[in-house]
Amino acid sequence: MSVLNWIEQRTGLVGQITDFLTEDVPGGASYWYIFGSATLFAMILQIVTGIFLTFYYAPSTASAWESTNYIYHNVPFGQFVISLHFWGATAMIALLFMHMLQTLLWGAYKAPREIMWVIGILLLVVTLVLGLTGYLLPWDMNAYFASQVAINIASSVPIVGSATQQLLSGGAGMGTLTINRFFGLHVWLMPAVLVLLVAGHLTIFRHNGSAGPPVDQDLKRLPQGRFWPNQMFMDALASIVIFAIIVILSIVSPPALDEKADPTKFFIAYPAWYFLALYGLLRLAGDPHVPAALTPIANLFATVVLPGGLITLLILLPFIDRNPSRQLSRRPWILGITALTLVIAVGLSLFSMLKIQDEQAAGSGGGGAPAAAAAATTGTSPSGGTAVAVASSGKGLQVFSQSCAGCHGATGMGQPGVFPPLAGNSYVTGPPTAVVHTVLYGLTGKIVVKGGTYNGTMPAWKGNLSNADIAAAISYIRSSWGNKASAVTEADVAKVTK
Amino acid sequence: MAVHEAQAYKDPGTPEDQSRRQFLANATLVVGGVIGLVLTVPLAGSLIPESLIKPDTAGGTWATLPADGMKQLAEKTDAPVKITFSFKYADGYFPPEDDTQFVWGVKLTPEQAENFKAKRPDIYANPAGKIGYDAVVMNFVIFSSICPHLGCRYDWNGAANRFICPCHGSQFGAEGDKLAGPAPRGLDPLPFREKDGAAQVTWIQYKSGQPDRVIVAYS
Repeated sequence: MSVLNWIEQRTGLVGQITDFLTEDVPGGASYWYIFGSATLFAMILQIVTGIFLTFYYAPSTASAWESTNYIYHNVPFGQFVISLHFWGATAMIALLFMHMLQTLLWGAYKAPREIMWVIGILLLVVTLVLGLTGYLLPWDMNAYFASQVAINIASSVPIVGSATQQLLSGGAGMGTLTINRFFGLHVWLMPAVLVLLVAGHLTIFRHNGSAGPPVDQDLKRLPQGRFWPNQMFMDALASIVIFAIIVILSIVSPPALDEKADPTKFFIAYPAWYFLALYGLLRLAGDPHVPAALTPIANLFATVVLPGGLITLLILLPFIDRNPSRQLSRRPWILGITALTLVIAVGLSLFSMLKIQDEQAAGSGGGGAPAAAAAATTGTSPSGGTAVAVASSGKGLQVFSQSCAGCHGATGMGQPGVFPPLAGNSYVTGPPTAVVHTVLYGLTGKIVVKGGTYNGTMPAWKGNLSNADIAAAISYIRSSWGNKASAVTEADVAKVTK
Repeated sequence: MAVHEAQAYKDPGTPEDQSRRQFLANATLVVGGVIGLVLTVPLAGSLIPESLIKPDTAGGTWATLPADGMKQLAEKTDAPVKITFSFKYADGYFPPEDDTQFVWGVKLTPEQAENFKAKRPDIYANPAGKIGYDAVVMNFVIFSSICPHLGCRYDWNGAANRFICPCHGSQFGAEGDKLAGPAPRGLDPLPFREKDGAAQVTWIQYKSGQPDRVIVAYS
């Protein structure tokens, strides 16, 4: 008796696997269908590399960065394994989007595959949560500030926002408990949910059978291809090509570990690429051209209505789409809306990228002659140039550029979720004593400015800037970018200094 | 799960089809194997701890001995020399902590160096007493200052020409061999080397009160 027979008699496993593999592919095997298995491959890669990372990573403010640094520098192949995990994450989400797109275009979400699709959207959400929670774990500057923005987005949801923010952070602000929560989500809960959903997805896939090509004929009438080995060979080939790309990227471009998170320092965070579009929406909502009265509504749209609406629409798609046809030529609405969504998403992502690059350049050029320095780094006329033209030149601008623009931006725009804007900020143009007090003694804790929530740290400038410098800077911000309020004198500042 | 009949598998096809399918099946398994192999190397490799890669310190870190201490040791031949040194010890990924210890350095005569193994059966005859590094390097041996009885710091008694521990009276010769008293083994030699002109030692704390040498800490 052969080994396979022996195992089959005792477990039934061989029969089950054979059953799973010997399936029809209506219309024949095709490279168009590889995206699902490619996403699965990337997921397995993430789980496997992730397991080995947990042999060294320790979640706490005292050890998260230190243990990540240890993996980078002291663990044999450590940097390579982290690299694989980093690029694997990008690959998994990119492939997941491709898989969604292919399924959508092929109309494979239509009856009887609606539940397959719904599980798929849930898988998308879980994968994005995995990407979000994993991003924080190294606890470097970028991890901290990017996650700060994400948590603040959650906190801007009406009614439940504050509770949500505290639930996510494990407290009032981001600290060691936040790392533990994100770790628990990233390593235990989300992977468990992911594996269960994938198991469900694959089981139902076998029940429904392959959807085949986007035609309206009876699938059984088409010539049938073999899943094993024909389709599986294509899947394997695609997987090894993707694996090769991940390996090459891991060797050539490993992710950088910034210095350890320090909430008091200035840093323009870079969200993961798959969140750039959402970040772009947030930027648009916080744009100074939006009237202050509309900002809360704009923020709500950007953070809750549009993303939540999109996910809801996606989940309901098989039930909303009443068109029985799978042929692309008979589905102009779906094609049009998909194309539009893609264009908007890519456009928003590019917009985000450019904005962040601008700010990073302006932030680092905020010393000495600000306009010249910023122009030198970006090579284009930076937003700081506008400030120079509009506001009065002199001491106020100089102090502001050197000490304040780093966080509040050269045009007083701030950074959504992290540093509040000064332009159109009623606190700035209000009673001068309050502004002087904040600049002198700093400010921590949650504040709401123009509908946006901020939970950063404003350092105290008393002792670091002279009263004259502080007065000049405050006068500058109270009369720039559309702000119209009285100037502040050195004597006014001295009065607040105790 | 009911075994159903898939259409595509009903017709076996021409011998060409069959051999092509066989090739695809084999190729798929090979591809899977290649991916598995390429992954196994770095993943399994990442598990190897530093102590296996750098065994000469038995897992600790090299600390440099002050030059004047070593100079004293090199010149003095009639008595052991006490050398104090500071170092940073690191446990995994935690930031290094400062520590200061002292050791007893002994310069052996060529005869003593040759007979060291015979003089120290507690290291070389007892399998559980062995150390993973050379005790005698360039005719020097560096002893941990911790008494193997109960952890006191012992001292050199010039008049008696031996190490004597003040706590319970254990006595050791210049080669660290136990001469008298309750100590269950002789003095513990530490890893020693010369690097770029400086003398280095690894501080290891062995468990006291037993004849076996078991590493407790590196501080």
